[in-house]
Parts: sequence; C-alpha cells; structure tokens
Amino acid sequence: MEKLGGIFNPSSPEMEAMADLTYYVIAISIGILAIIVVAVAYIIIRYRKGSKDSSEPYQNFGDLRLEIVWTLIPVAIIAVLFQLTCSTMKTIDPPIGNEEPDIVVIGHQWWWEFYYPKSGVLTANEMHIPVGKKLLLRIESIDVIHDFWVPELGPKIDAIPGHTNHLWMGASEPGVYLGACAEFCGTQHANMRIRVIAETEEEFNEWQKQELVVPRTPRSGIAGKGAELFQTKACMNCHTIKGTPAAARIGPDLTHLNKRQTIGAGVLTNSPENLTKWLYNPQKYKQGSLMPNMKLSDSEVEAIVAYLEGLK
Amino acid sequence: MSMKIPLVPENLKPLPRLKENEGMLSWVASVDHKQIGIMYLISTLVFFIIGGLEALVIRIQLAQPEFDFISPEVYNQMFTMHGTTMIFFVVMPFLIGLGVYLVPLMIGARDMAFPRLNALSFWLVIFGGILLYYSFLTQSGPSEVGWFAYAPLSEKPFSLNKGPTYWALGLLATGISSVASGLNNIVTILTMRAKGMTMRRLPLFVWMILVTSFLLVFVIPIIASAFAMMLLDRLLEATFFTPAHGGSAILWQHFFWGFGHPEVYILVLPAFGIISEVIPVFSRKPIFGYSFVAGSTVAIGLLSLGVWAHHMFAVGLGNVANLYFSLASMLIAIPTGVKVLNWVATMWGGKIWFATPMLFATAFIIEFVIAGLTGVAVASVPIDWVVTDSYFVVAHFHYALFGGSLFAIFAGIYYWFPKMTGRMMSETLGKWHFWLTVIGFNMTFFIQHFLGVMGMPRRTYTYHDFPYWGSMNLISTIGAIILALSVIVFAWNIRRSLKHGEKAPDNPWNAWTLEWYTTSPPAVHNFDLVPPVRGRRPLWDLAHPDQLDEPNSKVV
Amino acid sequence: MANNKMLVGFFVASESIFFVMLILAYVNFHGTVTDGPTAVNSLDPLRTGIFSLFLLASSFTVWLAGRSLSTKNHFMLKIWLFVTIILGALFIYGQATEWFGLFAQNITISRNVFGTTFFTLTGFHGFHVCVGLLMLSILLVLAMFGDFKGPKSDGVECVSIYWHFVDGVWIVVYSVIYLWAFF
Ligand code: HEA
Ligand code: HEA
Ligand code: HEC
Ligand code: CUA
Ligand SMILES: [Cu+2]
Repeated sequence: MEKLGGIFNPSSPEMEAMADLTYYVIAISIGILAIIVVAVAYIIIRYRKGSKDSSEPYQNFGDLRLEIVWTLIPVAIIAVLFQLTCSTMKTIDPPIGNEEPDIVVIGHQWWWEFYYPKSGVLTANEMHIPVGKKLLLRIESIDVIHDFWVPELGPKIDAIPGHTNHLWMGASEPGVYLGACAEFCGTQHANMRIRVIAETEEEFNEWQKQELVVPRTPRSGIAGKGAELFQTKACMNCHTIKGTPAAARIGPDLTHLNKRQTIGAGVLTNSPENLTKWLYNPQKYKQGSLMPNMKLSDSEVEAIVAYLEGLK
Repeated sequence: MSMKIPLVPENLKPLPRLKENEGMLSWVASVDHKQIGIMYLISTLVFFIIGGLEALVIRIQLAQPEFDFISPEVYNQMFTMHGTTMIFFVVMPFLIGLGVYLVPLMIGARDMAFPRLNALSFWLVIFGGILLYYSFLTQSGPSEVGWFAYAPLSEKPFSLNKGPTYWALGLLATGISSVASGLNNIVTILTMRAKGMTMRRLPLFVWMILVTSFLLVFVIPIIASAFAMMLLDRLLEATFFTPAHGGSAILWQHFFWGFGHPEVYILVLPAFGIISEVIPVFSRKPIFGYSFVAGSTVAIGLLSLGVWAHHMFAVGLGNVANLYFSLASMLIAIPTGVKVLNWVATMWGGKIWFATPMLFATAFIIEFVIAGLTGVAVASVPIDWVVTDSYFVVAHFHYALFGGSLFAIFAGIYYWFPKMTGRMMSETLGKWHFWLTVIGFNMTFFIQHFLGVMGMPRRTYTYHDFPYWGSMNLISTIGAIILALSVIVFAWNIRRSLKHGEKAPDNPWNAWTLEWYTTSPPAVHNFDLVPPVRGRRPLWDLAHPDQLDEPNSKVV
Repeated sequence: MANNKMLVGFFVASESIFFVMLILAYVNFHGTVTDGPTAVNSLDPLRTGIFSLFLLASSFTVWLAGRSLSTKNHFMLKIWLFVTIILGALFIYGQATEWFGLFAQNITISRNVFGTTFFTLTGFHGFHVCVGLLMLSILLVLAMFGDFKGPKSDGVECVSIYWHFVDGVWIVVYSVIYLWAFF
C-alpha cells in the first residue's frame, strides 16, 4: 500500500499534536453520530407503520428533565473539546518574543520566495531546512493573500499583504515534504506548490554555502551567448542572477536554478528538456502565469538553457 | 383516521393558470403571495439546475489528476458562480419564497403585510440573478475570485475584468430584496396572525422564518455596506481593501464573515422549520418540546452573530481572539443539539409513515449531524489549521447546505406540493429521487473529508497524482453524476405530477396547521373562514373537540 | 395602520447597521494615515458644526409639523414641513461646499484611506438626507393638495421617523469624524 499523506503521516511534533487532537475529536464525533444513527435506526424499525393504521399514538408534548439532560451533556462535551483545543494550541503555537525568524516566506502570484535572514540565502519554491529543529517562519505576501501549507509538517497560515504572520515549523525526519498554497490567489492557485527539503544539519549547511556562492558568468561559447541574451531579452527585468546586473524580484531568483528540483512552482521537473519547454512558452505549462511567453527563437532558447543549466 | 375536517366550500377559482385568466400577465403583475411564492420556487429550481451544471463541470475537471477539460480561468469562474448561485439564488430565495407562500396561510392571514413590497423583493432577486449572469456575456467573463471574493484579489489590479463588479451589483440587488422580505415577514408575523394565534402557538416554521427574518434585517446591511465599499474601490479607486494604498485586506474578511456566518444560519433555520413541521405530522405526534425547539432558534440566531472569525483562524488574529471564536462556535452545538434531539424524540413512540417528505426529513437528521460534527471539529483552532481551505471544509459545508438545507427543501417540496398545485407528487418517483440523492450525495462528499486531511486544497483546478487522490476524486465525480440523475428524476416527477398527478385532497397528510384547512390549491383570498385557533394544532383541535392540545402546565 | 410604522422602524434599524459598518471602517483607519490629508489637517469642525445645527433644528421642526397635524392645524403643518426642507437643504449646501473645498485641494475618495472613508461615510449620509428631502417635498405637495386630514397620518409619521434617524446618524458621524479628531 502506498503511503497516505497529510494527517496520516505527521512528520513534526506540531503535526503530531494536531493529528492526535483531530483523531480524538473524530472519535468523539463518531460516538455522537453513532448514538443518533442507532436511535434513528431503532425508530425506523420499531415505529414505522403502514398507511392503513389510523389510530393515533400517545401524544407526548415534551419533558423538561430530558431537555435539561440533553443540554448539559453537550455542554460537558464542549468543555472537554475546548480544553483539548487550548492545550494543543499551547504545544504548537508558543509565543514569539522578539526572535528573528529563521526563514522569511514571501508569497507571490504564483510562486514562493524564501529568504534566510541569518545567512542571506534567497531562493524560490523549494525550502531547505535542517531536520529536528524548530524554526520560526515569518510569512508575508507582496500581492494577494496566499496561504503556506505543508500538510505533514504543521498548521497552515495565511500570507497577507500588509500583515505579517509567524509559524513554528520543523521536520522530525529527513525527506521531501510537499505543500501548496491553500488560499485561493487567482488563476494558478493550483500550481503554487511548495517543496520542503528536510536534511541533516551538515547537508543543510553545505546547501547554504552553495547558495551563497556567486556563480561565474560565462563569457564565451553557447552559455556565454545565453548569459548575454538573459540581459538583453528582458529576463533581467524580472529575475535575479547574482553576479550579473539582473536583480529584479518579480520572478524567482535564478542564481542557482540548476539546484532546484522543479520549475514553475512544481509544474515541471527541472531538466534541460523541461527548461527548454518552459522557455519556449511558459503559458503552455502554467496558463496565466505572470511570466510571459518571451517568443524566443530556437537558438536563443538553446543558449539560455545552456546558461541557466550552468548555474549550480 | 378519527379526524374529520369540516369542508371548506369548493374552490371556484383556484390558482390562476398560465393559460386561463390573463396568461403571463397575471403572474408578472401579481402581488398575491401565493403566486409570488411559486415564482420564487420555480426560479430557484432553474438556478439550481444552472448551479448544478456548474458543479458537474467542476467535478468532471477533477475526475482525473492533471485533467484538461477546462482552462484554469473557466474552472475558477465555475466554482465562483456555483457557490454564489447555490447560496444566493437557490437556497436563500427558495426558503424566502416558501416563507412567502406559507406564512400568511399558516397564520391565517389574507396576504403578506405589504404585497407590493413582496413583489418587489421577488423581482429584485431576478434582477440580481440577471446582473450576475450577465457577466458571462462580458468580454472577460464572470468573476473568478470565489464566493467570498477576498480582497485584494477581487480588487484592481488583480481583477481587471468586470466580473466582480457585476457580482457585487447582483448580490447588492438580492441583498436589498432580502432585507425587504425580512421586514415584510416580521411585520406580517407580528401583526397579522389570526385570532387566538399567540406567539406560543405559532407554527415552528413561522417561528424560524421570523428569526431568519431578523437575521436578514440585521446582517444583510453588513454585506451591503461591504459591497458598496468594494464597488467604490473598483469603480472610483477608493482604497478600503487595497493594502498597497493603505487599505486593509483583513477588514474585508471581517465584514464578509460578519455577514457570512449568520448567512449560513439564514440558509438553515427555515430548513429546520420545514423539518419541524414534517416530522410531527408523519410521526402522528406533536413536536416534542415546542418551546425548546422555538427557543433554541433564537439562541442560534443570537450566537451566530458572534462567531464570524472562525472562518479566519489562519489569518493570524492572535490566540486570544482565536480561542474566543472557537468557544463561541462550539457553543452553537448546544442549541442545535437540542433541536436534533427533540426531532428524534418526536419520532420516538410515534406511528411513522415514511412517505417521501418523511424520508428526506429522516435522512436530513443524519446528514446534518455529520455536518454539525465536522463543524465543531473545525471550530477547534488546531484542527482548523489542518483542514481550513481544504476539501474537508468543502465536505463540511456541503453536508450542511446539501445534506441540511437541500434535503429539507426536498422534504418541503414533497410535503407542500399538493397544497400548492392540487396534485400529489408520485411516490414511486419520489422514492427513486430519494435513494439516488442519498447515495449520490454521500458518495460525492463523504470522501472529500479524507481528501482534505490528506492535503488537497480547495479551489484548485488540477492536482498531482498523489497516492489515491485520483481514485478518490473519481468516486466523488461519479457520485455527482448520480446526483445529476436524481435531479433529473426529481424534475421529471414535478413535471409529470403537475400534469397527471393524482388530485390532492385539501389535507392529504392529515396535518394540523392552518394551510391545510383551505382548499388545494388555496383560493385567491386564502380562507373563507379561519377556524378558531385554540392551540398549536388548530386542525387537531377541530377534529378532537374533547381533547384539546394544550393540557396546560405539561406543555413544554 | 401600525404596520407602516413598524416597517419603517425595522427598516431604520437595518439602515443603522449599514451606517455602523461605514463608521467602523472609518474608525478602523483612524490614525493609520501617515502622510496626506487627515481629518485634523483638512476639515473645519466649526463650519460643519454650524451646518449641523440646521440639521438638528430640522428634526425639531419636523416634530412640530407632526404636532400641527395632530391639532389639525394644516397651515402650520405646511409651514413646518417647508422650514424642515429649507433646513435640510442648508445642511446639504454645507456638505456640498465642504466637499468642493476638499476637491479643490485635491483631496478625493482615491487619495488615501482618510479620503476613502470620509467621503464614503459623509456621502452615504448625504444621500440619505437627500432621499429624506425628496420625501418631505412629496409630503409638502400632498399637504398643499390637502391630503392630510389629521389628526394622524402614517405618511407624516413614517417620514419623520426616518428624518430623526438621519439626524441621529449625523450626530454620531459628526462626533466620530470631527469631535474625535479635534478634541
Ligand atoms: C447551512 C449551513 C451551515 C451550517 C448549519 C453550519 C454549521 C456549523 N459550522 Fe459551518 N460552514 C458553512 C455552512 C454551515 N455551517 C459554510 C458554507 C462554510 C464554508 C464557507 C467557505 O469557506 O466557503 C462553513 C465553514 C465553517 C468553518 C470554517 C472552516 C474554515 O474555512 O476553516 C467553521 C469553523 O468553525 C464552521 C463551524 C460550524 C459550526 C460549529 C457549526 C454548528 O452550527 C454545527 C452545530 C450542529 C451540531 C454540532 C450537530 C447537532 C448537535 C448534537 C447532536 C449535539 C451533540 C454535539 C456535540 C456536543 C458536539 N463552519
Ligand atoms: C446550497 C449550496 C450548494 C449546493 C447544493 C452544492 C451542490 C454541489 N456542489 Fe458545491 N459549493 C457550494 C455550495 C453548494 N454546492 C459553495 C458555497 C462552494 C464554494 C465555492 C467557492 O469556493 O467559492 C461549493 C464548491 C464546490 C466544490 C469545490 C470546488 C473547489 O473548491 O474547487 C465542489 C467540488 O466537488 C462542489 C461540488 C458540488 C456538487 C457535485 C454539487 C451537487 O450536489 C450538484 C447537484 C446538481 C446537479 C448535478 C444538477 C443536475 C442538473 C442536470 C443534470 C440538468 C438536468 C436538466 C433538466 C432537468 C432540464 N461544490
Ligand atoms: C514579466 C516578468 C518576467 C520576465 C520578463 C521573465 N520572467 Fe521568468 N518568471 C517570471 C515569473 C513571475 C516566474 C514564476 C512563474 C510561476 O511559477 O508562476 C518566472 C519563472 C521563471 C523560471 C522558472 C523558475 C523556477 O524556479 O520555477 C525560469 C527558468 C525563468 N522564469 C526564466 C526566464 C527567462 C530565461 C526569461 C527571459 C527570456 C524570463 N524568465 C523572463 C517572470 C518573468
Ligand atoms: Cu497562492 Cu493560492
Ligand atoms: Cu461560519
């Protein structure tokens, strides 16, 4: 059997607490539902009559004691539920002092930007985290409301323009956790996906070091031509590549594009072929995406792909 | 039956028919509450088919992962129009229309207090619907920002098309209509009751319409003002909800849900009213705990005003606010539970006749309890953080709106159809409709609970092929197709019964409220003579002069 | 019939919620404006205060009109209705000049949140005053045709309930916009 995701595979202490609460509440609910279903089933069997029988049953107008009983029992159940709610919230949502966030998450229509203020790393759509650590995320948006949700790792929280939110997150096991934007944010809301790559402390540090390296811009060959095209074909108006004049933040930072697993926030896996397809016409794979079809010629695409593939 | 109801003189001129009398004009120009009520019901059935077809498009697109049936824009338009249509042009006007038809009859009045205002309300709904659907004809199509149109997505520069403008204008028109019907109902119920019909003898359906009307009068202005602000933003470049210019995105949410949450009770309280009429009649017993069923409605109405931010737990309002709204929401379970248990107790010890209305009413109880229990679960903040904006919530509210409101609406249609038309509906087709609905409905929506907790966000036009997602969505889609079949059976039943249905007697179910005293269909002036009202069940009292209904202190 | 008055009573209650929301929007943004026009640097509480007195007075005169009708003094009914209309119109004149003064300084609904909330709130109020003036004028015309025999008239009573409401809303609006900013 393939592994079920989401709540069936909680992978952080926060998510475990939330999953436990959910199971608990569902168990109570099933209990309540069972009582009602059994009562109704009993009634259906015991008290049904054919349309022939015309005598009237005993006319019972009510019973004050019963009313009190079935008001108080739910009160008690609610009290328990609320108590559970409070205690779970305490474990998953500790107060935030003046701590600096480990990662700043910025929602864009329709991709995610991740900024690590402590190291200065800036990347997109794929968030690397060290395993077993409780990290503080600051969630922001620059356009409309998005919502950061990685089902296996914990709660979701909105990214709202003009309002910052915080979220505690961590992963207990290394692995790739998939998430998605959960607040409807326009045409490509469905393809605003998140990858969280949880790795050991060493791997994570290594990744950070890599990310901070400024790649050498090729000056010659086909990649050199690509680098030049990148600056002349308006790509630089929207993208950043460190070590070049391209420093715009309308689209994802492409400095280490080759290191990423997907393109377009999860629509295509990252390979030279897919990158080629994307550059021919991103609208074909992500209709409505804010990256326009740049109408590049075959040789231009080839050159840019060669250049971008070199950005490790 | 031991009960014999004195005959009302044969009705000479029943409901005006399209062909007889003055034709269409007698409808269009009508200020008669029965005709207006029927026009409401017919137009909402049309809107239901439109909204249902939109749902089918949604479900077909989701039948397989990465399916290419419609474009993302069209998908987004579909769920926006589906949600908007179902809520504002199906359930709400249906229940208001049923109220318009029944309230005067149930309280023994000749008509609503303000018949012309009543007609205005109806035509405003139609006008609003036309405005909303007109947006399909504009260049960039209808609104694609969801039924709660969160700012700033619904604002410039993120929605440059005209869709949201038409959307807001259309809903503003229906909003005004709802306030007008609310006012009309309140005055009618408070001042036009027959002699002897005290508030404690009011039929429960009328009670629930009354509470709903208060909600309409006091919460529609909330959204009307928000729509006005949104329109000012869109048309005059005001900055209420645009953070880039100093506005606030969260303010819109407060305004929308300040209305939106009471709205869901507007959608379900009259449905509770239908259930509270149908269950006693088919159980042959009076409602168990009348005062508690009526009083809990008031409690629900009041509580519903203070829980709106449970739709906003993920907004980050802070733990104190979240916990308050969580507790307040859970508290609604208590008065609602009182209702549910009183219905069950009414059936207990009865002699139940499972005609189609009663089948729907019984199923309603179960489906609604499922909705309520998932509602209480999401009212717990951490659970909401898991499931908000996922298919779990979609399942929750379809259980409430379909399993709740719509099941009750079906029960009501089967129950009052003979009164309105003078014809019985076919029981055989009714049973087919019922079972197809129960199977299709649960198949479509139960599985969505699992999709939700497994991580499927709502409002996504496509999804990756994660384990089991494809097959679970396919099951849901097949369920929707079964539902479509059930709707076809239902529509066929209405059409067939209108033409060839068995002639309905005045009181086919042996019911007890005043509408069953007059002819089927009622004469234009409703009653020749309103019988004396000495208890909650006037027709019971007529049939049992020696065993009156209110044995004083024992009445609960 | 008591029905009409009940209808207007609930209608006015409903409208109050509408205004509460507009006021809440104003309050929500009060003090969030960091540059550009605000209540303090662009409004004149005294001038508007004086025009407000006209509106307050008109509430009194509409009451006098009702009283004249109940004593069957049809002449005074017409006079007081007329005075009410004049007072209301003066208030609207005050509003209009204030608005145009602001426009002249390029303060508009789209300038910033102050402009947005200020013009929306006063605009909707002004609109309600205008509707009231229209209804009062209809009453006056009907009165001139001798339609009101007295001592009671639903028409007159309903319009005056509405007019008191418009007046009451203004007291709140004035307090929130002008008094709060300056005192
Ligand atoms: C008819 C409509 C209807 C009804 C009646 C309800 C009823 C309830 N709803 Fe629901 N709800 C919606 C329609 C409705 N809802 C819609 C449309 C949305 C989504 C909007 C959108 O996002 O598009 C929504 C969303 C929604 C949310 C937000 C989810 C999210 O987006 O994150 C929440 C959270 O608290 C919630 C809670 C509740 C609760 C506590 C009730 C309670 O009233 C339920 C009370 C009933 C019972 C509990 C059952 C009977 C009781 C007993 C048998 C007694 C014993 C029980 C206990 C002690 C638990 N609802
Ligand atoms: C009363 C309210 C109501 C009702 C009854 C329904 C009914 C249905 N809903 Fe709806 N739904 C909402 C209210 C409602 N919905 C709301 C508020 C939303 C949220 C929107 C948003 O996110 O903004 C939503 C969203 C929503 C979604 C989520 C979309 C998304 O998030 O991406 C889905 C997906 O499965 C869905 C499915 C269905 C289905 C299959 C039905 C079925 O029950 C429909 C059954 C009816 C039919 C299938 C019609 C059949 C008609 C024919 C076959 C024609 C026959 C012709 C003749 C007889 C002439 N709905
Ligand atoms: C108008 C702005 C704009 C221009 C011009 C533009 N892009 Fe983009 N680009 C974007 C946006 C926005 C995205 C994110 C798309 C999404 O995921 O929805 C993007 C995504 C990408 C990606 C995928 C990155 C990832 O991590 O998923 C690549 C590669 C890319 N652009 C390359 C280019 C190249 C090469 C050019 C020039 C030929 C270019 N872009 C021009 C806006 C632009
Ligand atoms: Cu971003 Cu949905
Ligand atoms: Cu709610």
